[in-house]
Amino acid sequence: MNRRKFLVSSLATATMGSTFAAALARKASAADPVRVGVLIPMSGPAGLFGPSCQNCANMAANEINAKGGIDGRRVELVFADVGGPPADATQAALKLWKGEKVDAFVGMHDSAVRAALTGLFKGQVPYIYTPVYEGGECSPGTFVLGETPQQQLAPVILWFNKERGASKWYLIGNDYNWPRDTNKAAKEYINRFGGSVVGEEYLPFTVDNFDSSLAKIKDSGANAVLITLVGGASVGFSRAYQSFGLADQAMRLGTLIEENTLLGIGAENSQNLYSSAGYFRNIDTPAAKEFAARYTKAFGADAAVLNALGESCYEGITFLDALATKAKSYDVKKMDRSSLGLTFSSPRGTSTMIDRHVSQDIFLAQADGVDFKVIETFKNVGPGNNCG
Amino acid sequence: MELFALYGLNFIYGIATLGLIVLGLAVVFGLLGVMNMAHGEFVMLGAYSVLIVQGQGLPYFLSFPLAVLICGFVGYLVEWSMIRHLYTRPFDTLLATWGIAILIRKTVEVIFGRGYQSVNQTVTGTVDILGVDYPAYRLVVFVCAVTLLVGLFIWYRRSNTGARIKAMIANPELAQAMGINTARLARGTFVFGVCMAGLAGALIAPLVRVEPYMGLDYLLSSFFILVVGGLGTLEGLFIGSSVIGGVDVAVSAFFDKTSGYLAVLVISILFLWLRPEGLYARR
Amino acid sequence: MRAVSILAILGLLVVPFVGDSFMAYQLGLYLLFGIVGQGIALCWGRAGFLPLGQALFFGIGAYISGYALKTYGDSYVALIPFMLLAILIPGILAGIIGALVFSRSVGSGPYFSLITLAVSMVGFQLANSLEWLTGGFNGLTRIPGLPGIDTYETLYFVIVPALALSTLLVAYILRSPFGQLLAAISQNEERAQFFGFKTSSLKALAFGISAAIAGFAGALYAPHQGIVTPQAVGFLLSAELVIWTAVGGRSTLWGPVVGAVVIGFLASELRDIFQYWEIVVALVFIGVVLKFPDGIVGAIASVTTRLRRPVSTADGNRRKQTAPPREQVSETALVFEDIFVQVGPVKILDGLTFSLDEKNITCLIGPNGAGKTSVFNAMTGKLPIRAGNIQWGGTSVTGKQGFEMTRLGIGRKFQVPSVFNDLTISQNIDIAIWSNRLRFTDLFLTSPYSWTSGILKQVEDVFPFLKVSNKKAGDLSQGQRQMLEFAMTIMTEPALLLLDEPCAGLSTAETHEMIGAIEAFNAGGDMTTVIIEHDMQVVERLADKVLVMSQGRLLAEGSVADIKADPAVQAVYGGGTK
Repeated sequence: MNRRKFLVSSLATATMGSTFAAALARKASAADPVRVGVLIPMSGPAGLFGPSCQNCANMAANEINAKGGIDGRRVELVFADVGGPPADATQAALKLWKGEKVDAFVGMHDSAVRAALTGLFKGQVPYIYTPVYEGGECSPGTFVLGETPQQQLAPVILWFNKERGASKWYLIGNDYNWPRDTNKAAKEYINRFGGSVVGEEYLPFTVDNFDSSLAKIKDSGANAVLITLVGGASVGFSRAYQSFGLADQAMRLGTLIEENTLLGIGAENSQNLYSSAGYFRNIDTPAAKEFAARYTKAFGADAAVLNALGESCYEGITFLDALATKAKSYDVKKMDRSSLGLTFSSPRGTSTMIDRHVSQDIFLAQADGVDFKVIETFKNVGPGNNCG
Repeated sequence: MELFALYGLNFIYGIATLGLIVLGLAVVFGLLGVMNMAHGEFVMLGAYSVLIVQGQGLPYFLSFPLAVLICGFVGYLVEWSMIRHLYTRPFDTLLATWGIAILIRKTVEVIFGRGYQSVNQTVTGTVDILGVDYPAYRLVVFVCAVTLLVGLFIWYRRSNTGARIKAMIANPELAQAMGINTARLARGTFVFGVCMAGLAGALIAPLVRVEPYMGLDYLLSSFFILVVGGLGTLEGLFIGSSVIGGVDVAVSAFFDKTSGYLAVLVISILFLWLRPEGLYARR
Repeated sequence: MRAVSILAILGLLVVPFVGDSFMAYQLGLYLLFGIVGQGIALCWGRAGFLPLGQALFFGIGAYISGYALKTYGDSYVALIPFMLLAILIPGILAGIIGALVFSRSVGSGPYFSLITLAVSMVGFQLANSLEWLTGGFNGLTRIPGLPGIDTYETLYFVIVPALALSTLLVAYILRSPFGQLLAAISQNEERAQFFGFKTSSLKALAFGISAAIAGFAGALYAPHQGIVTPQAVGFLLSAELVIWTAVGGRSTLWGPVVGAVVIGFLASELRDIFQYWEIVVALVFIGVVLKFPDGIVGAIASVTTRLRRPVSTADGNRRKQTAPPREQVSETALVFEDIFVQVGPVKILDGLTFSLDEKNITCLIGPNGAGKTSVFNAMTGKLPIRAGNIQWGGTSVTGKQGFEMTRLGIGRKFQVPSVFNDLTISQNIDIAIWSNRLRFTDLFLTSPYSWTSGILKQVEDVFPFLKVSNKKAGDLSQGQRQMLEFAMTIMTEPALLLLDEPCAGLSTAETHEMIGAIEAFNAGGDMTTVIIEHDMQVVERLADKVLVMSQGRLLAEGSVADIKADPAVQAVYGGGTK
């Protein structure tokens, strides 16, 4: 950024700040609730994560309020649907920021929306981004809780090499940034542990026939497949995969196969299917079990099934609690400073924030019918280098 | 060699399923000229009828009559309330059915929720064909699709109703003057078409993802197949499925899936532009 | 109309002061979509073809502008050429697509719409895949605002004038001869071609303009949003743009804007509190399609002016200026050499050979199915010729299209009265006067509305009803429409006049009037006329020469008396004449 550009942009920031920051500049009193904008998809392709996310966020807020709020102030959530294109999402966020005067944002949505939001917020309001993503987000005031490819893959690929003899990997994903960045990281680890990549393929979002990919996998002699297809494509691929009997040839590992997707894949098609993430419904720790029990109690047995993305919304709210309590402020600069080394606990375990990312426990789970069974836990895995 | 056989089987199976899915639209668009943007949603309704049947613990094959029942009912309602006013207004039909698509999608979402549905497979495992382990259920789908297509072909050629439909398409006024109740015939044809879509949905449900938005996948590929093949004949439908399926498979095999998808789009554009009557048009 | 537009723009300008700047920011986005909608309305409401992939052009404009702002964001000198590109590239691209597609076939069926849809899907996939160019799925991010203009406070005051500009442009186009021709094309494209207009180019031009408008809106969308993602070129936005246009009113100037704003605010309010808000939109949308094809604004039609019934620049005495002269065509010789035409298995013309080279009236007769109308169709590019050669004035015209034949001095009147039903008589006459005269620049000037020509006076004397110029052509009787079409064809001052059963459907009195008119306009002896006719009384009265056809061939030719005496002709007609 040259000097002139810098001047222009800070001028713009200043003028914009004069109106928008009015809400932030307001003196907070103990009686005023903390208003948190929760940005989650309720429509569009990611809409299926909306309900579990909403439940989890509400649960977190209720629990915080039951213990007396954040620093004595009640938490009030304001939800907005960001399942549409970024243009709709920014409008929704702006409405909460400017109209509802929220003090902070928690967001669980895709990266395009995140890019739009960091461009909108420009570090003037704290923004906690919770889902798994491709890494590299470094905007000020943006706190990332989700797993990066480094976290999900580095220990797991080594483990598969050692424990399952996975050496020949086939990488398949949808044709966009997250799968490409994930596979870039994966290739590094595969090479590091002496394995080889026998195929790499990216499919458009519209694909509904996976036959040619399956033929290629069969032909490649792969004994492990890394799946970075998202949502529906992941379901369709996995169903076809099993029907061809490929599950015996090569095990499958996904970094975004959570409980909903597994349900779609179905019990008959989940043989030799693994998933790596920071959270599963069936994690066998007291914190996670208790969390799942509270969830069922609050929303009933028929509620939207718990999953890593839904749980991340719970974590987003509780993290805000921890951060605001430590910073004693919602000022972005103060929060940025306080976030360094902040340790907090959640159903996932105990995590620590570095570089506005977290190092956290990573779980490797194997599908058992339409449920996941955690078979290995990697303690305190670092998020890799995201700001350099 | 084995790989060759696998590609060959996939190709033949691909044509059969594409043909199956397009069939409903071939009737509604090809015969009646109704650009039914809700075609995919009727396929989706068919898939959900499998879910209902399995949810009640009933055998899978009962989902076929249920799919016909549901799609028939919804199709009748749609035809009666909207389509019959729009037979001569193609753009409006396109827009109105787009609205219907949203309505059906959202209604299913209200009832079943937004998430993926788990449909159980009744026929699992693989069968050895030409040295290839081929999914057994795919054979079931293949046999059903071919039976349905051939049966319909023969029926349309030989039956009275087929002749009446042909008369209605050729000259609606004359057909009416000859005592054919064209309004009723058109409604019957529309309902029949969407029932076919539902039946296709029930058949493929165990193989694909089942969720409220699944229909979008089938809509555009169906249109492209009809455009390439030509409207109003089963031969055209077969040719269209082969070309679209073949181009996709071939380009995907040599390059990648994205190129395959782009190739299908480009072929469709070329046909729409240079040969809008398709390869095998109704005479 | 003008007053309404000015009020609307003024009203929009005070929004930030009445409401707040956030509301204005939000409104800004919908106004940008509304601008795109105005372009769609130009194509769909006026020219009669529906572009289903308009987001492609919007998105291209947005990507170009976003790239420019990121690279040269601090200087207008560097930015402005890119902003022009953001308008020109979509416009030219659409113009090329339109020219290629429209020249293949007459009419504006759904196939054009499907092509635009597929092209926008290709664009969406490329925007996703070409990460080095577009930033892929995550998009082109961190686009700065326009230099010196605050995105949230003052950009709105750029968008409203942009909307005013777009409104002005579209309004001007609608009032121009170009706009009137587009209306004519949407009502009867073939007839417009037979007035010598290359309709495919005019439609392509309209499509190009609509895409340029979309690109213009896209260029402002990039700084407004600070990000451009593949959704901006995609199918879903394209569909939404059409929905907004339809709900607001596709044949009105402000309808698309109203549609985008109303649905936009509705969605933004409902989205978070009512999960199934799309059901509401879908129901409204279906209702509009079924019951109010002209949308919200069309339903309040009294307030605004409809696009479909174009405002002509006043009537009465507007024709004050002699129209520029036409190129005079003085050919006489028409030769058919061994022409074969076949459709499917049916031989329609089977080695037809004849020649005409006198400026008089020839009647073409023959039993039903003899191929009489096919003679005209083969001559005017409507039927493909398999073999043989057609010469007009010594040069081959085989395979030429209708508009080219008109430019060579051939006028044609169809069998079914073929006029522009939604235009007034006077507007129909405009198009006849403009035939073979209107140059490209005249398309956008108002002067052609003042053109008159000597033959108009003659025509009005023969058909006095033409003076009631404000009446819509569609409200005329069948006979009057026949006469209007005849009059319009005559006004193109053809050297060769083709009349296909000009007296069909006329009363006895009207038939006499028509025969008189044909005689009157042939009296000068400067025109070759060919009439297809069944009625032997008409033939006897008019014909200087008769051609008899049977089964795609020439059976006999000669004077009326010769023909009546010819045993072969008697055999074909079963010994009797009608």
